[in-house]
Amino acid sequence: MTCTTYLCPLQRARGAIALSSKWQETPMQLVIENLTKTYPNGVRALDNVSMTIPKGMYGLLGPNGAGKSTLMRTLATLQEPDSGRVHLDALDVLGDREAVRRILGYLPQEFGVYPKTSARAMLDHIAILKGVTNRGERKELVGAMLERVNLTQHARKAISSFSGGMKQRFGIAQALIGDPKLLIVDEPTAGLDPGERNRFYNLLAEVGENVIVILSTHIVQDVKELCTQMAIINLGKLLFAGTPVDAESELAGQIWQKSVSKDELGEIEARHPIISTKLVAGRPLIHIRSEEDPGDGFTPVEPDLEDVFFTQINARQNALSA
Amino acid sequence: MFGAFFRFELNYWLRSMMVYVFLVIITALVTGAVASDNVQVGGSLDNSNRNSPYTIQMMYVAMSTISVIMTAAFANGAAARDFTYNTHQLLFTKPISKFAFVMGRFWGSVLVAMVPLLGVSLGVLLAPRVSFIGAEEWGPVFWSAHFWGFVTAAAPNAIIMTALIFAVVIFTRSTIAAFIAAIVLIVGGSIAQALVSNLDNQTLAALVDPFGSMAISDAVRYWTVDDRNTRVITLSGLVLANRVLWLAISMGVLGLSYWRFSFAERKTSRHARPTEEASVKATRKIPKVGYQHGSGARFQQFASQVKVDFFETIKSNVFILLSLVTLINVSVALLFSDAVGFGLGALPVTYNMIDLIRGSMYAFLLGIIAFYTGVMVWKEREAKLDEVLDALPQATWTIFLGKFIAMTLIVMIILTIGILAGVVVQASEGYTRFQLGLYVTEILGLDLLNLLMLVLLSMAAHIVAPNKYLGYFLFVIFVVCNAFIWSALEVSTRLVRYGSLPDYTYSDMFGFAPFVSGLLPFAIYWMLFSVLLGIACILVWQRGKERTVKRRLSFAIRQFRGPIAVTAGCVFALWIAAGSWIYYNTIIRNELFTASEVELRQASYEKDFKVIHEGMSQPNVISVKYNIDIFPERRAIEFAGDQKIINRSKEPIELLLLNFADGYKTEVEVENATLKEAHEDQDYYIYEFNPAMQPGEELGMKYTVSYEPKGFENSNTQLSIVQNGSFFNNMLAPQIGYQAGKELTNKGDRKTYGLPETENLMPSLDPADIDNRRKSYIPGINEWVEVETVISTTNDYAIAPGSLVRSWEEDGRRYFHYKVDHPSLNFYSFISADYEVAVNEWNGVDLEVYYHPDHVWNVDNMLRSMRDSLEYYSENFGPYKHKQARIIEFPRIATFAQAFPGTMPYSEGIGFIADLGEEDDIDMVYYVVAHEMAHQWWAHQVIGANMQGSTLLSETLAQYSALMVMEKTFGRDIMRKFLQYEMDSYLRARGSERLKERPLLTVESSQGYIHYRKGSCAMYYMKEMIGEDKINGVLKGLVDRFGYKETPYPTSLDLVNGLREVTPDDLKYLVNDLFEEITLFANRTKSASYEELANGKYKIRLEIECKKFRADEKGKETEVPVNDWIEIGAFAEPESGRRYGETLHRERMKITNEESSFEFIVDERPAKVGVDPFALLIDRMPKDNMKKPSKF
Repeated sequence: MTCTTYLCPLQRARGAIALSSKWQETPMQLVIENLTKTYPNGVRALDNVSMTIPKGMYGLLGPNGAGKSTLMRTLATLQEPDSGRVHLDALDVLGDREAVRRILGYLPQEFGVYPKTSARAMLDHIAILKGVTNRGERKELVGAMLERVNLTQHARKAISSFSGGMKQRFGIAQALIGDPKLLIVDEPTAGLDPGERNRFYNLLAEVGENVIVILSTHIVQDVKELCTQMAIINLGKLLFAGTPVDAESELAGQIWQKSVSKDELGEIEARHPIISTKLVAGRPLIHIRSEEDPGDGFTPVEPDLEDVFFTQINARQNALSA
Repeated sequence: MFGAFFRFELNYWLRSMMVYVFLVIITALVTGAVASDNVQVGGSLDNSNRNSPYTIQMMYVAMSTISVIMTAAFANGAAARDFTYNTHQLLFTKPISKFAFVMGRFWGSVLVAMVPLLGVSLGVLLAPRVSFIGAEEWGPVFWSAHFWGFVTAAAPNAIIMTALIFAVVIFTRSTIAAFIAAIVLIVGGSIAQALVSNLDNQTLAALVDPFGSMAISDAVRYWTVDDRNTRVITLSGLVLANRVLWLAISMGVLGLSYWRFSFAERKTSRHARPTEEASVKATRKIPKVGYQHGSGARFQQFASQVKVDFFETIKSNVFILLSLVTLINVSVALLFSDAVGFGLGALPVTYNMIDLIRGSMYAFLLGIIAFYTGVMVWKEREAKLDEVLDALPQATWTIFLGKFIAMTLIVMIILTIGILAGVVVQASEGYTRFQLGLYVTEILGLDLLNLLMLVLLSMAAHIVAPNKYLGYFLFVIFVVCNAFIWSALEVSTRLVRYGSLPDYTYSDMFGFAPFVSGLLPFAIYWMLFSVLLGIACILVWQRGKERTVKRRLSFAIRQFRGPIAVTAGCVFALWIAAGSWIYYNTIIRNELFTASEVELRQASYEKDFKVIHEGMSQPNVISVKYNIDIFPERRAIEFAGDQKIINRSKEPIELLLLNFADGYKTEVEVENATLKEAHEDQDYYIYEFNPAMQPGEELGMKYTVSYEPKGFENSNTQLSIVQNGSFFNNMLAPQIGYQAGKELTNKGDRKTYGLPETENLMPSLDPADIDNRRKSYIPGINEWVEVETVISTTNDYAIAPGSLVRSWEEDGRRYFHYKVDHPSLNFYSFISADYEVAVNEWNGVDLEVYYHPDHVWNVDNMLRSMRDSLEYYSENFGPYKHKQARIIEFPRIATFAQAFPGTMPYSEGIGFIADLGEEDDIDMVYYVVAHEMAHQWWAHQVIGANMQGSTLLSETLAQYSALMVMEKTFGRDIMRKFLQYEMDSYLRARGSERLKERPLLTVESSQGYIHYRKGSCAMYYMKEMIGEDKINGVLKGLVDRFGYKETPYPTSLDLVNGLREVTPDDLKYLVNDLFEEITLFANRTKSASYEELANGKYKIRLEIECKKFRADEKGKETEVPVNDWIEIGAFAEPESGRRYGETLHRERMKITNEESSFEFIVDERPAKVGVDPFALLIDRMPKDNMKKPSKF
């Protein structure tokens, strides 16, 4: 997974638009304290999670089933934790759901549509539900939003006829339409082609300057490109919270890589604590973590976020299996 | 390879639960229907064995019709599975044979579709083992009926339905289309049923019904109880024709779809996905807008929710199709309705339209409600839109209420479609009295309220259910329980019966007036309850992803504060207040009895008093002066009588037994008598004479019967006194003597309360039984009585029997004084209403029709019939002794016409709205008037004794008289049509006889199908054979001997013996056949041919077969030798527009052999030739009498 050109679009978009006014000046932060949630089937989705999320893009990284979506839904007023508190400045997020919903933009990981409703009608409906009662204003807003997500041409078509990318863009439009102060996007780039993903990040970056944006993903690259702050969670536990740079620098000088043949793989696995293995041009490329030179032909490499991620996850898993 | 696909299909389904679930459902339905009286499927049970072959076969027919929905699931699965699961790309690339694939799947699913139907046999076999019903109602296991039921209905229907639906799915590749096809097939069946209302279309209807149920019904049409217990329908006649026809059609359709079927992937017909435009130049700024969260915004959100849910639903193809099917069904019902009888429609008056709309639409509507409420509640979760929408700042109530209102609009649209269909049908028949207000009040008012309560209930079920299917299940269970459980629990108050409103009947005369006071509080009560239920729904509405009961409850409790709690509290208080008000009115101020309480009283009346009181001598009433005050506006009455009673018996009378009218307050004062026992529960009061009333002694008796409504009732028990159209008779007065009419009659009920089975309802026919000949067969009617009435009202008219002596106004009330001109039976009606009066005169007799001003349509016709009747009857039977004859319209609370001396109340619901459209229609109005007029002789002059056969003297003779008047006016052809209907309804009713079929001579007064229907046929046949004059001579003799004469009253033997006397010897057997025995024929024409002769005439050769049977009381037939005069004949081709062709030949033959042949010559080319051409004999199969002759 080498870096291709489309992954660096931020500079172009940054600072293009400032969306909000009143909240702009206030330093805002979302404080999560001791959030715990166990499902009726016994799965502990959140295990005493505490974190503080400031204004800006916040990446939430974790493998599938880590508890990301539970956390997101809890913040989006769709679920209740067993215990814990969440505050957005003075606002009690778990208690006053109504107030949270007024400032919330939420794009769930997976969403569907009404089969017979057009994009414009649906967005109009959502705008009303968000409180845009003035008909003229609403029309203007919906039109602009459709244009921003590049759906103007298809506004009259039923969303059910859209391609995956178009549908996802619609999802973004609906999440952004209420001038949200807290924007939660769960795995937003799943199913997007590279161009669409690009455009989405542009849009998110525009919005994210003055509000809290929580971006959940299992794609390390996303966080790296977008986020100033991040957290890694797995199996319901918070493993790391900080800036991507901090995360990377923690591992400075400890990551080594080696391209091996498939036959060697088992042997090397037995000898070294492997962080990740991926194929590059058909050959396994192994990353390991080691404070000293591990020998065996490994070369040092700058740690990237992916290494951080896998280190965290594997450490946790090793701890569990030990 | 066929085998492989066949086995795969079979195994696929047999491993799934669905087949077994369907099997269990059908078994349960059939067991329930057969084993208990409370479950009804496919027609009611009669006197035949519960597990009779008839029942088995009818159940097979009914179940194989219902199960087409199940069949659709199998056929759809077989035809569409690979496309649904996208396995077609895998499968169709393999080298498989098309034949093996399509046919293997098809026959596999056919076989599977038959499996659930075996539940019919299982159910019937299981029923006797689980039923509480005693052994005497069960017959032996009848295996051949199981076999034929399966072969005539289950198997062919499974093949036909699977083939048709399979083909639809192959063509459309759509599951929904499969179910639509199933619904269309069911509707097709119902169209066939609608067609059959007309006797002429039966063969056609039997053929067009794809389920064969009409053909099978046609085969059993005239089955008697005995037939039902012993016969089976095999594959023959119309049943065979229908099955072969539809198997052929379905195989043809299957063949077509086989040919059309292709493994190739079809081009997607959907328009291509919108394509991405290349460049992105999104620079438009997102504008600043204001955000509102106040009540205005809430309302807008609610409106937007309604809009989204409403349009999502009505834009769906399923909904459009369902609406169309509903519309088709309603239109068919409206167009083919047969409301009055004799193949005659009623005018499309609005209240009939409303009933038809209800009958044909509400089952669909209920389905639509059940289905779409589920869709609405689960829509967002199923579309995975819930996370997006639930996180929006929309109040939960706007979601819930939005969906509820969207459903409301959908229901209203369908109801409006129904109303429009009604109005269009009215207009198309040239009827313009639309009464839109009535449509709106009943359909968009009261019915809508009920339907919306179901919507709400269904939504509530889905809100609490963890998944959609459980939601549907909960709703159905609740609806079924609500319908059945309350009467089972002996709870009659509507306060607990969800959505229950008091029964009501709209009448053009009084509107809804008597019902408003009860409907309103109940409607308010249920609306308040709905609000509470709605609030509960909002509180537990699943917003977000928390599913557990615990969390949703705790959340609901946390939400229950602020305005919502205050609102709920207020509504709750109002609801309790409304409930208390209803409780106070319906249970404290008025009495409310359960069905079993009423039965218990009836049973104890019989148990306590029958033995000691039934034969006891009692005085008779010989004169009455009535003083009646009616207060229509408050529905009150004071009914006072001052009467003379006489002891006609030979011994002194010590006790006077009085029965008071139920629900009225009665005060009685009897000369020389004091109250001895009061049995208030049974409304039975025993007075003791002191001194005893001596033979021949006359005493005075006064009474006042009054009624004043107290508040409102659970259901109006008393509708005699209403705002406009009060109609009651003198049965309000205390009735003297033990009343057998108050006894329980239902066989099962009698058993429950330990009462003996009723053998004969009336005393046996015995001319020597003088005691019973001193009474008439109408209870309490045993004197010719002088009557005078003063009656007052605030309506325009109050009518009592006799001539109007004087009328005046006093204190804003109208008073009328009537006096009966000739002593008559003590059987009088009184009526008060606002009328228009049509007047005519015949030989000094005033003819009057009192009618509601809007109902002018048939008034002239009534007057004409009265005049024609008076003319014929007074000429042939004897003089009319009253100075007036009145027809008086009364509200459609009841639908009958009845003859009282000189007055004939006639219900709004029949004659006044009959539609005498076409020329060859039977003039129902004219006929009923002639019949009631005839009662002025047959009942009101000659009244039969209190024994079997007496209705032969009243009802049969009234039928005969009316037939003669009609024949004179309309001619013989109409009589043929009329008698065809009479015979059909006699033959059909025999199978549902619950006691014993009697010959006419000993007919019970409750056996209308004998004394009316068979009576018409028998008397008309007698008249054809011995002549009108001879019969009328006998009848005149009866009037001379018994008309207005003191007891003993005549018996049926007086008539029958009289007829025998005037009948020539060689025809005397007729009297025995027609009156003393149950005789049936099976006559048919075996072959007929003709030859054109040189002189231009036609020579006809005819071979016929005649069989004659005697039937016993259960309908068991024994063949007897034929030795009868039977006609043969020929008809010409009918002229266009005429029903019957000219009679070319008619000849009476003495037939002594089963088979005989004839030759005769006619002048014109014959169109129909055969035996008994006018269908005068009671024939088990009248249709095969005549045949189109072939040329030789």
